[in-house]
Amino acid sequence: MKTIFPVDFQRMSVHKDSQAMLRRASEEGIETVWDRLAKQEPQCGYCSLGLSCRNCAMGPCRVDPFGDGPQKGVCGADADVIVARNLGRAIAAGASAHSDHGRDILEVFHATAAGETTGYQIADEGKLKAIAADYGVELEDRSTREVALEVAEAIMEDYGTRKGSLGFLKRVPAKRLAVWQKLDILPRGIDRENVEMLHRTHMGVDNDYVNILLHCLRTSLSDGWGGSMVATELSDVMFGTPKPVSSEMNLGVLKADEVNIALHGHNPVLSDVIVQASQDPELLNLAKEQGAAGINLVGLCCTGNELLMRRGIPMAGNHLIQELVIMTGALDAMVVDYQCIMPSVTDVAKCFHTAVISTFDKAKFPGAIHITFDPHRGIEIGKEIVRRAVQAYAGRVADKVYIPGEPIPMMAGFSVEAIVEALGGSPEPLLAAIKDGKIRGAVGVVGCNNPKIKQDFGHVQLCRRLIENDILVVVTGCAAVANGKAGQMRPEAADMAGPGLAGICKALGIPPVLHMGSCVDNTRILVLAAALANQLDVDISQLPLAAAAPEWYSEKAAAIGTYAVASGIYTVLGVQPPIFGSKNVVQLLAEGLEDVVGATFAIEPDAERAASLIRRHIEVKRRELGLPYHDPQTIPLPERGREKSPAVA
Amino acid sequence: MKTVFVNPERCLGCHQCEIACAVAHSSSKEVSLALWEEPLPRRRIHVEPGPTYNTSFANKCRHCNPAPCEQVCPTGAIHRQQDHDLVLITATKCIACAMCAMVCPFDVLTYYPVAETGPQRVVAVKCDGCVDRLSRGDIPACVEACKAEALVFGELNELLKAGRLRESYAVVAATTMMEGQAPAVPETVHAWRAWGASAEEATQGGGER
Repeated sequence: MKTIFPVDFQRMSVHKDSQAMLRRASEEGIETVWDRLAKQEPQCGYCSLGLSCRNCAMGPCRVDPFGDGPQKGVCGADADVIVARNLGRAIAAGASAHSDHGRDILEVFHATAAGETTGYQIADEGKLKAIAADYGVELEDRSTREVALEVAEAIMEDYGTRKGSLGFLKRVPAKRLAVWQKLDILPRGIDRENVEMLHRTHMGVDNDYVNILLHCLRTSLSDGWGGSMVATELSDVMFGTPKPVSSEMNLGVLKADEVNIALHGHNPVLSDVIVQASQDPELLNLAKEQGAAGINLVGLCCTGNELLMRRGIPMAGNHLIQELVIMTGALDAMVVDYQCIMPSVTDVAKCFHTAVISTFDKAKFPGAIHITFDPHRGIEIGKEIVRRAVQAYAGRVADKVYIPGEPIPMMAGFSVEAIVEALGGSPEPLLAAIKDGKIRGAVGVVGCNNPKIKQDFGHVQLCRRLIENDILVVVTGCAAVANGKAGQMRPEAADMAGPGLAGICKALGIPPVLHMGSCVDNTRILVLAAALANQLDVDISQLPLAAAAPEWYSEKAAAIGTYAVASGIYTVLGVQPPIFGSKNVVQLLAEGLEDVVGATFAIEPDAERAASLIRRHIEVKRRELGLPYHDPQTIPLPERGREKSPAVA
Repeated sequence: MKTVFVNPERCLGCHQCEIACAVAHSSSKEVSLALWEEPLPRRRIHVEPGPTYNTSFANKCRHCNPAPCEQVCPTGAIHRQQDHDLVLITATKCIACAMCAMVCPFDVLTYYPVAETGPQRVVAVKCDGCVDRLSRGDIPACVEACKAEALVFGELNELLKAGRLRESYAVVAATTMMEGQAPAVPETVHAWRAWGASAEEATQGGGER
């Protein structure tokens, strides 16, 4: 019989802090995401093959993948159409999440430009000017606030369809833009493409799976070069463009003698003022009166990454840590904004004294204290939240506190601007290193945790193999936290890298795995790729680049992977998306797209094999660019043990 | 003898058979109403996960003959229904001693309150072969719900012959280099399961940091 609680902690996570907390969960009978996955097994094959459709009330329908049962839904949609429609809706949901996050930042930026907020400012005028240039906003003889207002209004127009195409497309290399124009997939409006996807996937609209998949590309581009880019760029303007900063990671960043507040979610717009509020003398005094030595902020997920990048706030962990951090008994408050916050956190919090504080009216949690975010009273609300956390500290039970292990030092803050600065003001030295082969290429390893993959094993192992083979790795989101906890983001980690990459890292004093930010900050990778392509006057798809999402789970990741491929970057997914019910869709995404956008997806859960696929791809690109290359076929592709034939390669 | 035969390689883990089973054993026979009944109707078929993602097996009473459960039942609550060759439980006679569960080779017994005895006590609950449906000329509810032919209903020897034919095609194809005619699972399902096997293998690798 299956045990109710999985107890083989080493199979669940590579990290000792997670394993210690999982043991505690098991002993105390606290349910976690791993338990719930075990209870969901077996998960529905129709759904995970993408063959079930709930889009209308003639259904729900499902197509038999064995070919004997129904081959069409009630409306007549076959496997290809159903799989494509489901994928399209997932991408639209992911792109919507990023884009709505961007809009929230934009609204605060607009109000700040109008002088209506407290706790916000224009922190980076240089960045504002750069965005103004993209949007054609005149700078001459105008105040920062006037420019900011006009920029805000110009970006707001990008959410609709006023101008026909997005402002940030000015950053796209001409050759890539031509590819999109030829395919007629230029993103026209950030909201528009998402709405159009919902329209197309309504019964009886787009009945051609190829046409739906093309719109998947366009929808994702409206995220990557639209909504997400707005979020990143305007966050930089308001909170500062990240610069290299030292910090620490894992559950050891919690402090037994201080008020611990975890900032969880994705949007930095509130958490940034909480950082200011936590330094308020009155609140620090209040903490002292309660017997705490101070107020300690820690990050979770991408809100944490935003604060780490700009303020050096340490990270407690990534997606799969969110329940476990509460089980330390040392967390006084978890402040949540939105995205990737499990509804279960309030259940776990009930077993401890932790106050869960929700802050966005669009993201409420039964069992949480709700304090509505309002930028007009930003700093006051920040103080109110910190006060609640200090009050919660009074309920902490000393016997229940268990903080496993010591934090791991790491380095973050590698915005494109910071990387260029580290290189001496131009991307030329990086290009030179790539040209002479000291660095073979660069790979963005991004994306979430998924309990179907041992926590962080996919991220850590893949990045390790890549740097060992002189491939520069840039990371965001949960992948970044995984690498930080594994010690791969200290400058000394250069010793783990191959000789070429190690030499360059040591000369610059940087780690071989560079933290580029949160998951909306994957747009920084696009900007860097575009800059390299422009420097060489080639398309992005010609560069020795790749991307990987070894442990992805979310619809947002589906959108990110798709905009990477649509932008010309080969992308390896560790978790299979629900598309295997349609051979045609799989073939188009894994092979057919090569001739369309110059890049494809691959699916490979084995990090060793994924590393080989990426290394081979990079050498192929080097050969095509006329750079010194290794014969790709000489790079061994490890055999699968149990399953000899490749899933999709 | 007609029986419900399980093809585990065709099971997609969708749980449709479980839902259909519970509804077939409800008073209302309507999915939307069954959820409000007291006691709740229970599934008598159980789709449990296999060793890797994307594998599963639908487990149910095999209606053994002789049936160990029938042989050990101290109250005579378990008996063989001759018309359809099924092993049935008379709920009112059951004392929930779990002897049947202890000797069942397939662990198919569960204990819940049922409509016949009311919500106050639990009794042994297992597949009754949809005897009511069979009497009406219908096939078992789980088989009707399965769109993947993981569950099929028919004469045992005929069902086995279908499997033998597939084996025969495969063996002849392998020995004569002909193209195989009827693979056990299509390429799509094969690739879907291959990810599960590979993910499982990756999980076994690597230590802690």
